[in-house]
Amino acid sequence: MSEFVLEAGTLVGLASPALLLAVLSLASLAPRPLAERHVAWLTGGAMVASVAALALALAADVVIGAEVTSWTARTWFSSYEGSFRFDLLVDRGALAFALLSATICGVVSRFSFSYLHRERGFQRYFVLFSAFALGMQMIALAGSIEVLFAGWELVGLSSALLVAYFHERPGPVTNGLRVFAFYRLSDAAMLVAAALVHLHAGDGSLRWIFGADEMSAHFSPSEATLIGVFLIVAVAGKSALLPLSSWLPRAMEGPTSSSAVYYGSLSVHAGCYLLWRAAPLLERSPVAQGLAIVLGVATALYASLVARVQTDVKSALAFASMTQVALIVVEIAVGLHGLAFLHLVGHASLRLLQFLTAPSVLHDLHELQAERSESGGRAVEFPIRSRRLYKFALERGHLDEALDRVVVAPFKRAAAALDALDRILAGESSRRARKRRR
Amino acid sequence: MNIFECWVIVLIGIPAVVAAITATHIAVERARGIATGAGLAMLAWAALPFLEGELIRSMSASEVVSPFFGVRSLLRIDALSRPLPCLAAALWLLSVAVTPRTSLDRGGLVRAAAATMFTTLGFLTENPGLLVFVWTASVLTFSFALSSGGHQRARRVVMAYLGMSTLAFGFGVALAFGSEKGGVMELAGLWLIVLAAVTRKGVFPFHAWLPAVFEHGKIGPAVLFSTPQFGTYVVAVLVLPRASPDTISTLAAFALVTGVYGGMLALVQRSARRACGYLFMSQSALVMAGLDIANPEGLTGALVLWISSSLAFAGLARCVLVLEARRGTLDLSKYHGGYENKPLLAAAFLLLGLTCAGFPGTLGFVGEELLLAGSLQDFPVLGFLVVIAGALIGLAIMRMYFSLFCGTRASVLRLELTRREAIGFASVVGFLLLTGLAPGPLVASRLEASFHLRPGSFEPHASRVTRPALAPSGHPNKATGDDDDSGDDASRVEPKGEFWHSGGDSNPLGHCARGCPSGWKPEPI
Repeated sequence: MSEFVLEAGTLVGLASPALLLAVLSLASLAPRPLAERHVAWLTGGAMVASVAALALALAADVVIGAEVTSWTARTWFSSYEGSFRFDLLVDRGALAFALLSATICGVVSRFSFSYLHRERGFQRYFVLFSAFALGMQMIALAGSIEVLFAGWELVGLSSALLVAYFHERPGPVTNGLRVFAFYRLSDAAMLVAAALVHLHAGDGSLRWIFGADEMSAHFSPSEATLIGVFLIVAVAGKSALLPLSSWLPRAMEGPTSSSAVYYGSLSVHAGCYLLWRAAPLLERSPVAQGLAIVLGVATALYASLVARVQTDVKSALAFASMTQVALIVVEIAVGLHGLAFLHLVGHASLRLLQFLTAPSVLHDLHELQAERSESGGRAVEFPIRSRRLYKFALERGHLDEALDRVVVAPFKRAAAALDALDRILAGESSRRARKRRR
Repeated sequence: MNIFECWVIVLIGIPAVVAAITATHIAVERARGIATGAGLAMLAWAALPFLEGELIRSMSASEVVSPFFGVRSLLRIDALSRPLPCLAAALWLLSVAVTPRTSLDRGGLVRAAAATMFTTLGFLTENPGLLVFVWTASVLTFSFALSSGGHQRARRVVMAYLGMSTLAFGFGVALAFGSEKGGVMELAGLWLIVLAAVTRKGVFPFHAWLPAVFEHGKIGPAVLFSTPQFGTYVVAVLVLPRASPDTISTLAAFALVTGVYGGMLALVQRSARRACGYLFMSQSALVMAGLDIANPEGLTGALVLWISSSLAFAGLARCVLVLEARRGTLDLSKYHGGYENKPLLAAAFLLLGLTCAGFPGTLGFVGEELLLAGSLQDFPVLGFLVVIAGALIGLAIMRMYFSLFCGTRASVLRLELTRREAIGFASVVGFLLLTGLAPGPLVASRLEASFHLRPGSFEPHASRVTRPALAPSGHPNKATGDDDDSGDDASRVEPKGEFWHSGGDSNPLGHCARGCPSGWKPEPI
């Protein structure tokens, strides 16, 4: 009986947001949007079902006492040398994170009903939100790297589209594209890691990198290092570790409710969760372990410094989140897995609360934001008496500028030169091609 | 006349009859209605070889006598070519159903039907002479489409590049198939065919005509000419069986570089049309790269990507055309807004674009994943270019989406899609999503085609043979107490029944026609 509850609970927990996404997407094709109350019922129902089912599954897992349950749900498709599987890897850690995700999504969806009342994109928000909820469940319960990657991409895409939620203004749209660029880098690293796992293990089962024994049986230290480094790049993109952190404050352009669930509580922790699951990989590769520690420490110092000079609440919270996320990464890298998980759960919950109450606090206490910005242009909490460091913090470490100068500008220049060459090869005069280039 | 010959005559006859009827003086909208109906009929007819039973067995037999020329094996259908007439029919159908009225004329409908007829004929043959005929006819049809209006510059570019490629193809075929096997002349001929194919496909450095034609020419004919990827087919049937591994590796390297090059330039374009040209260049180069990878994963990925990129890109370009008809020239350096006015078009654009970028849940992901796995086996460093190309394409798509549909409040009236346009886009998106979620049958059929392309040249990878059957285990997870390896195979619940698709055999055809490695059997899905 308990096994049935475990299996059914997990599947319902995963299927509920999937069903919600399908229903809301199909409803979007209709000429008239659904009434807000219908969207609210559907979303609320799916979230309650997901939370209840996962809670039951977790309880059943405790009763059974099973350490790990791997369900080969389905071979997605087979190729010549391996198969691509839709696997779920269910254990207490996965169920706990899935339950945390479902609960937070439920709370935020309830908040969003009121927060976005009468917004034009009400239904669009919930389509994207359900995609996010599904993506998080897939990341939590993934048993194969294909499922993990699909969840990873769903979270990234919905995040970028929600940053650009107020799409009638250019600012959110520009920032949405910027966020998507970082996520794309993270996705690319994840895809390479997936391909390397396939290449060396024959299929994409996450048991090969989540299990210590399987890891040593399948991957040499150098292979483990290579996969580990790509996974850390993927995690750095998703969890805003240096040098891929400048997107996080830009992501605050979206509705507060989506900022809360993405950049306060769940999305930024998805990378930490993945690293936590893949701890055996880090233990087998000192290089990957060292890289995670260096990135974590550097990000924590940077974000802690920058958070103290922010003049708006959402940016301050974003950098505070970044600090804690970086510390969680360090904890995982040094082997404090239990502490890291507790830290993750606690921080996700606390930050959710802070983000969700931020608009109310601002509304009730207008002077809060004014007070911060009126403190003589200098943050009262800034801990170090160094003008240079203060400027560094105020400019957010010049990360955006550096990125523009080192990556974006040379890329654009090279592309423009190649474009001009193509135009000449297609018969345009060189003068005209140069003009277009300008 | 056997059943195959009947099937071919009807298949080729449908667009031929439509072209003849349309050429008479009937109203354009009426001609469009006829072409749409004929496109549907052709699509259904082209799908007949996928049916089970005696029909498919008789149609899989590639040794046939042509009713036209009396030459053995002039026309055939095999694992490689089975879905391609469907692709040609679907592209035709999309073209006539979705093209806005402002971009449609009777001549365009005639040329679309003729182009479909030539493409379909080409997909049904391996005969070099017939391929030269089809190649030349399709290039001429395309250049006629650019002869009117203000497309003279595009026409000059097309005539220069594609004229040269046609000549190269003709000479290449003459040299490769008219000379002694294994000699220098055959090698020179094969290189000329490769040169012709890469020019037609727009592979770097012979690509400049493709973005120019998209920018200055007519998008509709350009899409119908490019998206079936006839150059890929020519390489598959004429070059792959004869070329040396070095030739194929060189071609793959150029194609992978083109994939990144196209993605990079699509990202910085101001003109939406030109960005489309680069996007297609990148996509089709990845197909070519996969075709040149000497392992089944890469080949299967390329064949899947062929179908997905052709359909997705054709849909994407039609979205741009539909948008242009409502807004005029589309400049990507500005925000155009108007999502609220055209949410269905925006959703279709995004989903088709995400398919091009290989987003999970779409057919593009399946192709890209297989292609990546295959390319990393053969080109450990260059293989990463597939990932970079995918990332750049994704970014370019997102930039286009934000620019074309977001960023400002559009002041135009609500301009929804017409019913015909909505059904056309929904069908393509639906197909790409369905096959992306349940790709088993398509992948199995493309895997069989990959054996056909490289008969007897694949051996199982070592990891597949030596991988030990390990029990599932936990990891040192002190927070939850999962700290040792105590699971066993009993805890693994194997699938019961079919969820993704029905049928016990992963190969929907139930057999591997030829070229399968000895002892290989598809894994049950």
